[in-house]
Amino acid sequence: MSAPAIRLNHIAFGPPAARILDHIDLQLDAGHFLGIVGPNGAGKSTLLHIICGLIEPDEGHIDLFGECLSRNSRKRLLGQLRFLPQRQDGIAAMPIRVHHVVAMGLNAAHGPLWRKNPQRDIIEQALERTGMAAHADTDFRALSGGQQQRVRLARALVASPRILLLDEPAAALDSPAQDKLYKLLRKLCDEMQMAIVMVEHDIAAISDYVDSVACLNRRIHHHAMHGETIPEQVWHDMYGDHMHVMAHDAHCIGCESNEGVPNDAAPHESTPHKHTPHGTGT
Amino acid sequence: MTGIDDFLASVVMREALAPATLIAIVASSISVMVLAHRLAFMTVGVSHATLAGLGFAVAFSLPLLPSAAFTAVAVALILALLSPKRGINEDAATGVLFAGAMALGIVLLSGANRHDVDLFGLLFGNILMVSDEDRFWLQCGSAVAMISLLWLAKPWWSMAFDSTSMRAMGLPVQRYRLLLYAVVGLTVVMCVKLAGIVLTAGLLVLPAASAWLWGRGLISIWVISLLLSLGGTWTGLYISYVFDWPSGATVVLVLCAVFLVSRISYWLIHHKETLRRHH
Repeated sequence: MSAPAIRLNHIAFGPPAARILDHIDLQLDAGHFLGIVGPNGAGKSTLLHIICGLIEPDEGHIDLFGECLSRNSRKRLLGQLRFLPQRQDGIAAMPIRVHHVVAMGLNAAHGPLWRKNPQRDIIEQALERTGMAAHADTDFRALSGGQQQRVRLARALVASPRILLLDEPAAALDSPAQDKLYKLLRKLCDEMQMAIVMVEHDIAAISDYVDSVACLNRRIHHHAMHGETIPEQVWHDMYGDHMHVMAHDAHCIGCESNEGVPNDAAPHESTPHKHTPHGTGT
Repeated sequence: MTGIDDFLASVVMREALAPATLIAIVASSISVMVLAHRLAFMTVGVSHATLAGLGFAVAFSLPLLPSAAFTAVAVALILALLSPKRGINEDAATGVLFAGAMALGIVLLSGANRHDVDLFGLLFGNILMVSDEDRFWLQCGSAVAMISLLWLAKPWWSMAFDSTSMRAMGLPVQRYRLLLYAVVGLTVVMCVKLAGIVLTAGLLVLPAASAWLWGRGLISIWVISLLLSLGGTWTGLYISYVFDWPSGATVVLVLCAVFLVSRISYWLIHHKETLRRHH
């Protein structure tokens, strides 16, 4: 059996008296799509930064593809991983064409100037996947926020990584584009055996697509598989007591019907994409 | 009015043309990265800090350009290492080093024999007095800067766009950043010969700033920046010869004019397009 794509062992980050992350144990196999939810400041983005080596944890260690992420293995292991950070407004100020942005996701694009540029067809395929093929020669600055995000996603996909980390990738996208994005990510897991970790706020929006959801607030309060119910107490632990859980979706991970029966047991499908945890304190 | 023939017939000007052209090529090429990585203030800081290196060189009879180059690269590397740490941002660190090194340079130079130091030349440049030794060091510095740029232009450009993603895919971003700062530091010293400590930032900012609106990517900005810089430098030298103005300041003035023309013409073209669309 092949080693898991990601294995985190006893990860802790931050000073011992005020940990940002604590006791994080997580394992992700190839082809698994994991959603991470949690309140602001829960350490979601920090966890992604730790997985891709941007931050060193204070305790614990990270294995990628069965090998410890260290200074020696860093370049080789991270070469098979791509990270799409949260959208930043400052980065769009440079004059650059869309296909050059996507090419940045390929290691071959960072060689000396006299070396040949990566093949254009690989870049166009990645842009096609995210529905941006028609804009390959457009100036990146001329695109809308949502279009820029789709280009950045194409950059993350162009090298066909084995691990993909996404930090709120749907933040600038409208609802149909969000659905398309989640469907695409699901397809990548199923067809290419890509392991995906995605941080999102809206659990109901992603629950139809992900294999599991980790509820994070400093530590992982619960790791629910598709169809599994997340106890209401977990939401209270994560978001505080000023919230109540509302169920909307037959396939929603963690949702319960009004009668207290998990919605997966319901015979009909209801419309997804309603928010599950609501609360004045979040 | 003095013609081009007279200008080219002048031995002083003819001898200045080659090093000035070399500096224009290197400075305009590196200026693309200065703009992309927002290092304009850093170039001001490093150029002023070279006065400390020049002070040491004069006080201890060391060769001027290598001493200044050593100081500039050292200061640039200190800034690169300091800035990511918490507690002091790059602006503040640049301000501290800039003032401290300049003060040290002034103290060291004050003890030197007045005839040993061409203070006006150091502050405002003196491309008309280039010794063979200077020429040798300029060529060495140019070779290092241009080879580094040809080697690392692509990752430097990508880092300016999104350094977090580049680090996450395993690129040695911090090592590339140190190299960039060192190369910018080296280029600053070469520009000091033409424009002096005070005006060097002009050579390292204006060419790419003028090209920025017109280029569509790294190569086009680079080419436009190079052409504008060469045109500006030659025109500046010619004007300085005709009117007997200081060469470095005239070159920087011409580059400023190029920048203004570039901005205004871009605005006019786009304003016209917008008006046409409204009608």
